Amino acid sequence: MARSPTTSDVFNAIAEAHRREILDLLIEGEKAVGAIVNDLSMSQPQVSKHLRVLSEVGLVRCRAEGRLRLYRLEPARLRPLQEWLAKYEQAWNERLDRVDDYLRALQDKESSSDT
Amino acid sequence: MTPNRHGSAIIEFPNELEIVVTREFDAPIGLVFDVFTKPEHVRNHIAPFGEKVTVCSIDLRVGGNYHFVFVTDDGTECSFRGTYLEVEPPTRTVETWAFEGWPGVEAVESMDLHEADGVTKLTHRLAFPDQAGRDHMTKFDGIEANFDHVEDYLRSLLDPAGPVSGS
Repeated sequence: MARSPTTSDVFNAIAEAHRREILDLLIEGEKAVGAIVNDLSMSQPQVSKHLRVLSEVGLVRCRAEGRLRLYRLEPARLRPLQEWLAKYEQAWNERLDRVDDYLRALQDKESSSDT
Repeated sequence: MTPNRHGSAIIEFPNELEIVVTREFDAPIGLVFDVFTKPEHVRNHIAPFGEKVTVCSIDLRVGGNYHFVFVTDDGTECSFRGTYLEVEPPTRTVETWAFEGWPGVEAVESMDLHEADGVTKLTHRLAFPDQAGRDHMTKFDGIEANFDHVEDYLRSLLDPAGPVSGS
């Protein structure tokens, strides 16, 4: 039996473009499901599915106001991602900056031996 | 001379299984290719934070193996191995990628180079075969698998009553 895809962490949750669009929209503030559907031209079931995933990883929080279900962003949940990304980015940047310097040194040597 | 491009690497997660890094270099494509595929060059930059490189062997042909080892300041050996699947100088290599610290995880790494107006763009892609594999990458280095811990901690810091004790 095929395993269904898991959506168990923040990294998975934001890997999906539609879910990022929803998060971008919620940066403006708390919104009802209907408003999200209108703004993003996605179907209601699609939006609900994505909101469920985002809720599961804690990136959004839902509250009921009368018949409306309002969703808001929980930005603190993005912190681990930001910290991780910063470290990963730093490691890549340091390495690739070293390649940059190294390429410059090689080319300097080449051009000075040419002339 | 053009200013350096330090800090300009772009990291992206195009989907749940891949991590893509892009970066431009002011150098011709042939030289960039050599710097990423010849051991005498690679040993100068393979270690992410300038750690000491103790092994750097590359057999650059389809079916050929590579092996890199660098040692961190606290003495930890980091060993990476793989086999070349595609070798197309000066534009592309594809190779398997395994880190000894993560047994059972084998990713596929690719490097694509493209030169335009004397600038060579590197696209480095690391693709994990499944979620479990990529999770190693995104959960390394002190980030707990369980994000709840982090959230609880952040909340405790923000709480004016001060940090909560464990339990």
